[in-house]
Amino acid sequence: MIILGIETSCDETSAAVVRDGRWVLSNVIRSQVDLHERYGGIVPELASRRHVTTIIPTIDLALEQGEVSPSDIDAIAVTEGPGLAGSLLVGINVAKTLAYVWEKPLVPVNHLEGHIYANWLTLPGQAEVEPPVFPLVCLIVSGGHTELILMRGHGDYALLGRTLDDAAGEAFDKGARVLGLGFPGGPAIQRASEQGRPGRYPLPRAWLGDSYDFSFSGLKTALLRAVEQYRRPAQGNRRSASRQPFPEYEPPVYAPNMPVADLAAEYQEAIVEVLVEKTARAARDYRAAMVLLAGGVAANTLLRRRLKEAVSVPVRYPPTILCTDNAAMIAGAAYYLYQRGVTAGLDLDVQAQLPLVTRTLIRA
Amino acid sequence: MVDVDRLLLAIDTSTEQAGLALYDGAWLSELSWSAGRNQTATLLRQLDHLLQINRLAARQLKAVAVTLGPGSFNGLRVGMSVAKGLCYGLGIPLVGIMTLDVLAYPHTVRRHPIRAFVPAGRGRVVYADYHHRGGQWVRESVLRTVRGNQLAEGLTETTVLAGALDVELAERLAGHPRVILPPPSWRLLRPGWLAELAFQRWQSGAVDRLETLEPVYVHAGVAEVAASVELPESR
Ligand SMILES: [Zn+2]
Repeated sequence: MIILGIETSCDETSAAVVRDGRWVLSNVIRSQVDLHERYGGIVPELASRRHVTTIIPTIDLALEQGEVSPSDIDAIAVTEGPGLAGSLLVGINVAKTLAYVWEKPLVPVNHLEGHIYANWLTLPGQAEVEPPVFPLVCLIVSGGHTELILMRGHGDYALLGRTLDDAAGEAFDKGARVLGLGFPGGPAIQRASEQGRPGRYPLPRAWLGDSYDFSFSGLKTALLRAVEQYRRPAQGNRRSASRQPFPEYEPPVYAPNMPVADLAAEYQEAIVEVLVEKTARAARDYRAAMVLLAGGVAANTLLRRRLKEAVSVPVRYPPTILCTDNAAMIAGAAYYLYQRGVTAGLDLDVQAQLPLVTRTLIRA
Repeated sequence: MVDVDRLLLAIDTSTEQAGLALYDGAWLSELSWSAGRNQTATLLRQLDHLLQINRLAARQLKAVAVTLGPGSFNGLRVGMSVAKGLCYGLGIPLVGIMTLDVLAYPHTVRRHPIRAFVPAGRGRVVYADYHHRGGQWVRESVLRTVRGNQLAEGLTETTVLAGALDVELAERLAGHPRVILPPPSWRLLRPGWLAELAFQRWQSGAVDRLETLEPVYVHAGVAEVAASVELPESR
């Protein structure tokens, strides 16, 4: 079964062709990092605008690279949420329209479900990836999400914990902004950490008792306090931002002796430590056969290494290109949804706050 | 009989009142509804309905027209996404028309200047002026944002106002000595007018590219400059 997937939930325009939920035939991703860089973060309105111009060439290229024509496609999959409403609606409306004129079934996919199913995919020319085994614990960490999920079978999810404030990726972005390291924050902080040592300037970890929930906003506040003494007034070549619809990011100015690398290393350590501790505990508590990582922060090498050290069962994560937002994971998840009869009609709408889990679980 | 060799679909989701039209140069079928902010949920259903009641199928469409704004940012993106999906999926051309041009179009039968406007949020409107010069209708290049009650300020000639107004504001503006205020049904955007303007452009060979066409986004308080255009007369 060949599925065309479309993903526009945040700042990547992506289209992909995937066979049987396992084999990536093509996966085209148009990143918008260049567009958002000077704002120090994603500007939702600008992200939505970019999707409008990139979506059709992206789909066209995905079909071409996948060497399929519309008649070869068995279904069209699209991210219905969660995400930015103005961005989601571009993918949803194009996907619905193509399903309508090509007379194909339309499969709505939860973006988080897509991230999980990236672990089932094999990229072209790569060795076959064995399907993960159940029950498994999956940590989804990205700019928009931090969710710890127990999965006992296809489509069988239970939410164990999630962030109560900032997502882990968001915490990296905010930390990088405070330290003046640029956007996106995850790779920027990881790079800066290489020259530093954690522990020299201690930052807090929010354990929240024995719950599986996370909280990162206090960490950012502590970092702000730590850099305050090094702060210097801005250079004064500030352009008038008041009439700009999207004000640009002006990096803070610090004294040259600020220990940027040590602070970045401690900041990264604080995020990774909490993520690893709770994920490892969930894996033990629920006797998981496997631990999966998913989402953009899954590309963080410290997180990968520490998690492998902390759990006794296999830890798996997708190749980096399938960790960040992409349409192959949407087409992959759609295969398993379609097997269970999940399709949508022409009235499919944007679900900006769509939760993955509706079922509550009694604690183990 | 519908001429399916020249069948054009027009889509307008610039404002909370959405519209669709099918047009072949002579025959016209229109649909207009209060979409509110539910354009994503309603647009394709209504398109399917419009095609069905005319016993037509989507694959019979030969061109698609869409309003470019100004208007609601998300609304414009819904129309543009469906229009591009149709054009890509069916391999047919796309024609984008500025929303203000559609509002001005039916009033080009007179020789008075026209000021066409759409809501810009928070009681504001964005407008453009149209003048008949050298035998041609021309849209001035600047789009301006003002409060609704300032729409007639600075008019030096008798001018036709074209756009939706609430009753109270309409009454006040109708009393202005330099304002011609047509009845409401002539000031609302009719999808048929979009279809006709786009049809002429399509038949003259001027179509847009799917890779580059995007809505006109106007922010309150930020002056936007759009290229001035010549508008065909509505007769
Ligand atoms: Zn994501």
